[in-house]
Amino acid sequence: MKSGDLLAPLEIGRISEETIRLWSEFLADPNPIHLDPAATAAMGLGHRVISQGPANLAYVINLLMANFPGKTIEKISTQFSDNVFGGDIATAAGRVLSADSDRITCEAWLEIEGRGRAIICEASIRLEG
Amino acid sequence: MSKDLPPPPNPAGFSLDGSEAYTITAEQNAALCRSIGCEPASDGTAHPIYYYIATQIGMGPSVAEFCEACDFDVDDGPMIVGSEVTFRQPLMVDQPYTVTGSINSLDRKMSRKLGVMDLAEYTLDLHADDMGEDAVVLESKTRWVLPRKELS
Repeated sequence: MKSGDLLAPLEIGRISEETIRLWSEFLADPNPIHLDPAATAAMGLGHRVISQGPANLAYVINLLMANFPGKTIEKISTQFSDNVFGGDIATAAGRVLSADSDRITCEAWLEIEGRGRAIICEASIRLEG
Repeated sequence: MSKDLPPPPNPAGFSLDGSEAYTITAEQNAALCRSIGCEPASDGTAHPIYYYIATQIGMGPSVAEFCEACDFDVDDGPMIVGSEVTFRQPLMVDQPYTVTGSINSLDRKMSRKLGVMDLAEYTLDLHADDMGEDAVVLESKTRWVLPRKELS
């Protein structure tokens, strides 16, 4: 791969409220904005439950693992710039920033249909053991 | 920072060291992987997103206590805005990990979207204590926004 090459995108599909509920358990996070649309509305954040930021990042990590099977993720730097809501349709995508024989650096993101990128990452992948 | 804003609290140095080990069980890892459409690895490695989960759950203070150290009510809605991780080793299932860390800084800012807010940054490292001296598995840095509605 070389600088500018696009990663094979990963279609996530619709973010389900059930997945968001499960992640509240995984994260031991009882924040009601992830469980109750009324709580989200009370915070002035919309009228749907909000997907946890780490769950959104996990989709982008899946993209990296799918594009670089068996390789090692060394570093990830993430900016969380927008909420992802239950019912949103998401796609993880990315492109190569630099590549040499030892490692590849990528920009990767989670794109929400109709709204744009909710998180943006820069990741370093080690190619050799 | 505007001269009109009161100075922010200074929680820098507040310890986030954990007191109990956190273990990613194979069952938890499988459930998490399947919730996001992938299969768990067959070589005993955990999904890399556990860097965040293990450090966050394994740190000593609860999120509410963390917020309290920043003079912030957790019910006012802290929001994650940034995270960095450097992996030194892969995360493994059924391996006990402990967490060390501290709050690095808290800066008060004015945001057009959120009004007055504090930006808190903290470091959490994950250790595999039974793996000898080179036991640091990963280093992470996280940034949260704490909206200060009462000052906006």
